[in-house]
Amino acid sequence: MVLEILDILISGLLNGGIFALIAVGLSMQYGVARVLNVAHGEFIMLGAFFTWTLYTMLKVNPLVSLVICGPIVFVIGYFLHKTLYRRIRLSSESQGAFEGNSMLASFGLLFIIQNLAILRWGSGIKGYSYLNFPVNLGGAMFAANRLVTLLFAVAICIIFYLFLTRTRLGKAIRAAAQDPDAAGLMGVNINQVLALCFGLGALMAGLAGSLLSMSFRVQPTMGLEYTVIAIIVIVLGGLGSIPGSFIGGFILGLVGSIVSHFEPGLSLVAYYVLFMILLLVKPTGILGR
Amino acid sequence: MSKKSFFSLIICLIFILTIAVGCSQPAPQPAQKDPAAPTGPVVPDKNEIVIGSVSSLSGPLSPIEGAAFGPIRQMWVNDINARGGIYVKEYDKKLPIKLIEYDDTSDIGTMTRLMERLIVEDKVDFIFPPTGTAMLFAAGEVANKHEKLLIGMSGGASEIKQIIAGMPYFFSALNFSDTQMPALVNMMVDQGVESAAIVFIGDLHGVEYSGAAVPQLALAGIDVIYVKSIPPGISDMSSLIREAKAADVDAFLCFAYPDENILALMQSMELGFNPKLFLTGPGGNFGFFRDIFGDQVMEGMMSWGAWNERSSPGSKEFVDKFIPLYGEPMVDWWGHNLYWGALQFFEQAVEKAGTLDNAVVRDIVATEKFDTILGPTWFEGGMLAEECHTGEVGQWQNGKFEVIAPYDKATAKPIYPKPSWPR
Repeated sequence: MVLEILDILISGLLNGGIFALIAVGLSMQYGVARVLNVAHGEFIMLGAFFTWTLYTMLKVNPLVSLVICGPIVFVIGYFLHKTLYRRIRLSSESQGAFEGNSMLASFGLLFIIQNLAILRWGSGIKGYSYLNFPVNLGGAMFAANRLVTLLFAVAICIIFYLFLTRTRLGKAIRAAAQDPDAAGLMGVNINQVLALCFGLGALMAGLAGSLLSMSFRVQPTMGLEYTVIAIIVIVLGGLGSIPGSFIGGFILGLVGSIVSHFEPGLSLVAYYVLFMILLLVKPTGILGR
Repeated sequence: MSKKSFFSLIICLIFILTIAVGCSQPAPQPAQKDPAAPTGPVVPDKNEIVIGSVSSLSGPLSPIEGAAFGPIRQMWVNDINARGGIYVKEYDKKLPIKLIEYDDTSDIGTMTRLMERLIVEDKVDFIFPPTGTAMLFAAGEVANKHEKLLIGMSGGASEIKQIIAGMPYFFSALNFSDTQMPALVNMMVDQGVESAAIVFIGDLHGVEYSGAAVPQLALAGIDVIYVKSIPPGISDMSSLIREAKAADVDAFLCFAYPDENILALMQSMELGFNPKLFLTGPGGNFGFFRDIFGDQVMEGMMSWGAWNERSSPGSKEFVDKFIPLYGEPMVDWWGHNLYWGALQFFEQAVEKAGTLDNAVVRDIVATEKFDTILGPTWFEGGMLAEECHTGEVGQWQNGKFEVIAPYDKATAKPIYPKPSWPR
């Protein structure tokens, strides 16, 4: 019985770590840059494919790939905001219009990135084996690569939180999240900060993709399922709240693990049920304002 | 004028008029050859055979499309065109293939709409099948409505047998559970398997395979520990694997798609679950599985199929042609020889028909027998005859996908128990 509970808890934490990382990225993009980026999962896919390519072609350790893939995806995200979303923002009549227009643009981006990936890597499934052996934790067995994923995901989220709370740039981002116009009047280069936030969101997605590629298959169509999970988590945690997304990721991971223990077919259903209950009972989420 | 003179005048007048009328008609002339006119019967003009294809080039089904029928379709068209085309007697020449391709984005509604467009607007001569079981069922209805021949390739289920009778234009080239499961269960009994755990994906494919497996295993005296359904896109199967490990089952049968099968295999290794028999299908039959996990992990892994270059002389020829073009990871050791054989059959059916009339070609497909990569090949009741299958179950052995069941088609003996996962 104790072993079963331990199994469920650790499985939940292992999934939750990666959910948290993905959601923190989307939270940056939606909470600050106000872009509900439905192509968020495509940045995860890009991170996973870059890591797979480096590992299979150049034998680069996937953990080393993090410092290569993350910045590449960041640059892509940063310039996408500079070129695409900034123009949409400037041409939109209101904040609401911008959110609607940017979401539609994200849908287009989803298909563009996905199809470019199919052209580059083909539509087939890719993968590799890394740290693919069991580790005994108090009698419960877990994969070494998933434990490493959890440790890195938590570490990345903590570093990111410290960056937001302890640095001058982090303060500017938080100011932009609260009120972009007021932050602009206070001397914050708002366009720069918003592009940076979008790039940082993409960076988190890219890092998540690199970590995911160690224990899951890699394919051009893998992104959407993670986008859906990220949206559920940011609603659960509270829109725009980084700590909320972090906690929400772990809660969703645990819910999935508990349900999956009794009926694996219902874990996705449980996510959606939780999502609907939240919208009805506490639409602001756990730490939302 | 005397009466005699009057009659003589009338007779002369009739005679003169007869001659005059006769002279006004052109005299029959010997036929003269016009250098511009065609000789013999009139031959309609046509320079190519247009084949329409709607397939899942993007979306969730694209990995299966890219690994299963997609490369075969492309290679066959190139192969035919390199040989100048298919000879069609009606046009008295070889006609190359022109392929019109649309992407259904893995959406069934889009697929049927585009297939109607191919037939009605593009007026293609023939159509190629879409990707996946549900797509094939829907495409069969469209093809039949427009009386277009449709030979199903990747996808399908034994349920097709029940509906195919009402769809005379629909044929199916792939083998399913009705021939595969008896071969698997027979082999499991012979190897001394005593218990099994079954995981199946909750769709037509999974339901069919688990539905076929449970009673057959029970009848064979194999204890089925559990039968569990999983949804597409499941991200954690650890609880299922732990349960199978705790029960110490001999066989773990995962009737799901590559996504789920990769997860099942990865998590089994991660959790140290090493059953004596491990079958994933469809999944383990694809070359990319071996590419992902390597020979040591794949040693002893089973999947549906099956064929290899030793299955027939034509199979060797096919492999020698396919691998340099697409690479070994792109080989589907379940379906590729069936698809290629079915297309070779189709080519010969068109040649024999001497026309692009789908009704005529359809009748030939339904009744004739041709030599292909599979040997003598024919369809029975709309399905590729069981005798044409080169195998039903395969197993990875020393980096090769060997046919292990049924025994009369086997290229190697089964390895049981399979080796432990490499450290």
